[in-house]
Amino acid sequence: MSILLKVDNVHTYIGQYHILQGVSFEAKAGEVSVLLGRNGAGKTTTLKTIMGLTPATSGKITFDNKSIEKNPTYDIATGGIGYVPEDQGIFGALTVEENLKVAMRKEDDAALARQEYVLELFPDLKKYWKKDGGHLSGGQKQMLSMARAFVNESKLLLIDEPSKGLAPVVIEKVMEAINEMKKQTTIILVEQNFIMASKIGDTYTLIDDGETVQSGLMRELIDNEELKRKYLGIG
Amino acid sequence: MKSAFQVNKILLFIIVAALAVFPFVSDSRTWTILLTQIFIFSILAMSYDILLGYTGIVSFGHAMFFGMGAYATAIMLDRFEPTVGIFVLSIVVGMCIAGIISFLVGLLTLRLKSHFFAMLTMAVSGLFLVLAEKWRTLTFGNDGFTFRAPDFFKDRMMYYLLVLGCLVLVYLFLRRFVDSPLGRVLIAVRENEQRTKSLGFQTLHYKVIASVVAGVIASLAGSLYAVSLRFVNTSVLTMDITLDALLMTIIGGVGTLIGPIIGAGVIELAQHYLSGLAKEHPIFERWIIFFGIVYILAVIFFPRGIVGTVKHLFWKRKNPIKLAIAPKRKGLAK
Amino acid sequence: MELLINLLINGLATGMLIFLLAAGLTLIFGLMDVLNFAHGGLFAWGAFSGVWFYGLTNSFTLAILGAILTGVVLGFITEKLIIKPVYGNHVQQILITLGFMIVLSEMLKVVFGPNQLAAKTPPLLAGSWEIGDVIIIKYRLFIIIIGFIVFGIFQFILKRTKIGLVVRAGVMNKEMVQALGINIKKVFLYVFMAGAALAALSGVLMAPYSGVIYAEMGMEFAILAFIVVVIGGMGSFPGSLLAAILVGLAGSFMAYYVPALSLAVNMMLMAIVLIFRPQGLFTAKG
Repeated sequence: MSILLKVDNVHTYIGQYHILQGVSFEAKAGEVSVLLGRNGAGKTTTLKTIMGLTPATSGKITFDNKSIEKNPTYDIATGGIGYVPEDQGIFGALTVEENLKVAMRKEDDAALARQEYVLELFPDLKKYWKKDGGHLSGGQKQMLSMARAFVNESKLLLIDEPSKGLAPVVIEKVMEAINEMKKQTTIILVEQNFIMASKIGDTYTLIDDGETVQSGLMRELIDNEELKRKYLGIG
Repeated sequence: MKSAFQVNKILLFIIVAALAVFPFVSDSRTWTILLTQIFIFSILAMSYDILLGYTGIVSFGHAMFFGMGAYATAIMLDRFEPTVGIFVLSIVVGMCIAGIISFLVGLLTLRLKSHFFAMLTMAVSGLFLVLAEKWRTLTFGNDGFTFRAPDFFKDRMMYYLLVLGCLVLVYLFLRRFVDSPLGRVLIAVRENEQRTKSLGFQTLHYKVIASVVAGVIASLAGSLYAVSLRFVNTSVLTMDITLDALLMTIIGGVGTLIGPIIGAGVIELAQHYLSGLAKEHPIFERWIIFFGIVYILAVIFFPRGIVGTVKHLFWKRKNPIKLAIAPKRKGLAK
Repeated sequence: MELLINLLINGLATGMLIFLLAAGLTLIFGLMDVLNFAHGGLFAWGAFSGVWFYGLTNSFTLAILGAILTGVVLGFITEKLIIKPVYGNHVQQILITLGFMIVLSEMLKVVFGPNQLAAKTPPLLAGSWEIGDVIIIKYRLFIIIIGFIVFGIFQFILKRTKIGLVVRAGVMNKEMVQALGINIKKVFLYVFMAGAALAALSGVLMAPYSGVIYAEMGMEFAILAFIVVVIGGMGSFPGSLLAAILVGLAGSFMAYYVPALSLAVNMMLMAIVLIFRPQGLFTAKG
């Protein structure tokens, strides 16, 4: 399988803080790669750096055979990367419909078809079509955020902790949706919930103190008690 | 580092001594008056530096404190006897009023974000200008009034020396102030207010202290200014005064104290010569345009000002100067 | 009763002019976190260029269009040369936009001379209607109508068009808008130009209203606009309309009943709002 995204020894500063101190991993087309690590390890910053929101100070990021680490955020997004941030980034005073409309770069048949598809995936959104994004529940916001990333034709989705703060029943739904989306696109997922991560993920990358510790296949990690205990505090 | 400091001190002493001797060797009235003016605005600009350079806050209302001093002195010398005693008393009164007002305004406004603060100080200062224009029985509005200065200052030279003395005292006082632990906290506020707060400092208190000190010193400059002209009108409360202080501080070098003094010299001299050129070409009547442009360029390309840049070139490694107005790296700024 | 109506119309007309100025300020602030202290300069340029165009063409319509064009061009220059280099640094922004304000108003004196100019009301809009005891000055009514029309147009754009949605979304969350593939810098340039056009429109409408124009009018009027932006809530378009009307009415009623307080009343309004509701009456960040 071809490599869609390659992050190579990336360093990122936020202000004067050296947050990422050498992150490297690859995401293969069609797979779900999960970034694992403790709180504050640099997982979210890794996603933001890929998006160009906290640009890399050094290192290379290659997406679809093009180097993107110097590109502005909007260029990276139009290049085919969708982003679902940790706080969901919903426009609170815009309705569900308007949130999707802002995201849709081209309102053509393909985009409308994709919109139909996500609305089937998340029937709640259709129900609250005219409701302000700010008035949705946490789970609905998560779904809206994922739907918004999906209405454009994206080759890669970056999803940051979709299970955070959600009830177990809602997590189930979100997981189902990710499993669906995975059929159509490549996904990089940041997830603290190891059970969820291990069910969805094909590969993993462990990040600790802003550095990549190890990457590999998810099923190998599931059996590696030592790694799990040392870096995830489980097992 | 220590020796550099000593050299500085000696150099400063020589300059002050030379300036003190100047009126005895030169009998140029123009120069004495011009230098007096420069010293007064140096005091004002230094007080502004406490805000902009050391605490990292932009006030657009600094003229109000300058105006308070000017009016306090002018009104008291006019209504009472023009004696040195009244003059000193009026300075104290002006400082007290400025101190109280800057305390109240600071308490009310300094908790706001920089934009709001700048705007609000501009508006409050505008309010004082309107007040002075309307309260004609006290101020004679825009027409202003002349008054007699104490006889002691009839001699321009004496006044020159007095103002020079004030300048040196204010410089030494402010130097002490910014080097004190309190001054260090102010610099911390400038560098990163959030972090200073999380270290347990009530940053609002420190910002209020800075604004009171700056206000009081500005009032002193106003008092000295009024007596140097023997006249006062509402122009002492206008935005132009604030702009002068701002220009002098930025061009001279923020956060250096010496910078504003040099900035005051540069601007007053340039103003003197450029307005003199107005006879040659009318564009020079609008000399402030040149300052506006120089100032904009300075903010973008030259944010350290004259002194800051010189320091930066010489002590780049040892003593990096950080500035509130130096461009910050930001993810968005791409 | 007729007094009340007259005061009401005065207040509304002034309010509308302030609104046109404040609308641009509030959107620019909301979207890009830039408070443009040079906004009053754009207003004054609108007034002067409008009067100049009017003298040239003798058509008030062309004068308005000319002023708007001036605003758009100046807005483009301001954004590219002045605002862009200092994105993200508040202190620099404040300093530099104020510096540009000085340059703008001094340039006015270079181009149009240092003295104040008289501005005539176009004949069609001069005079007044008398309805019973109520005298309605035509030009004031004209300003009010223009104000509401502009509000309607912008409200439509903000609510119903894609670019309007993007602007509103940008006010709420800039990062996310960019992460959705939108070049927010470009959007900001458009908004800045639109805001400058509104400021210039406000200026050209102000000219016949006050009868004379002078370079300093920019700063004087901009302070009112700042107050309105604070009261209405930074970034809120309807908020700025409401606050502008409030400020206009307060000014006109106070000027009649308590003249001594008329200039202080807006300051007091702003102080009250800042103390009790620092985010303004309306919030745009949802």
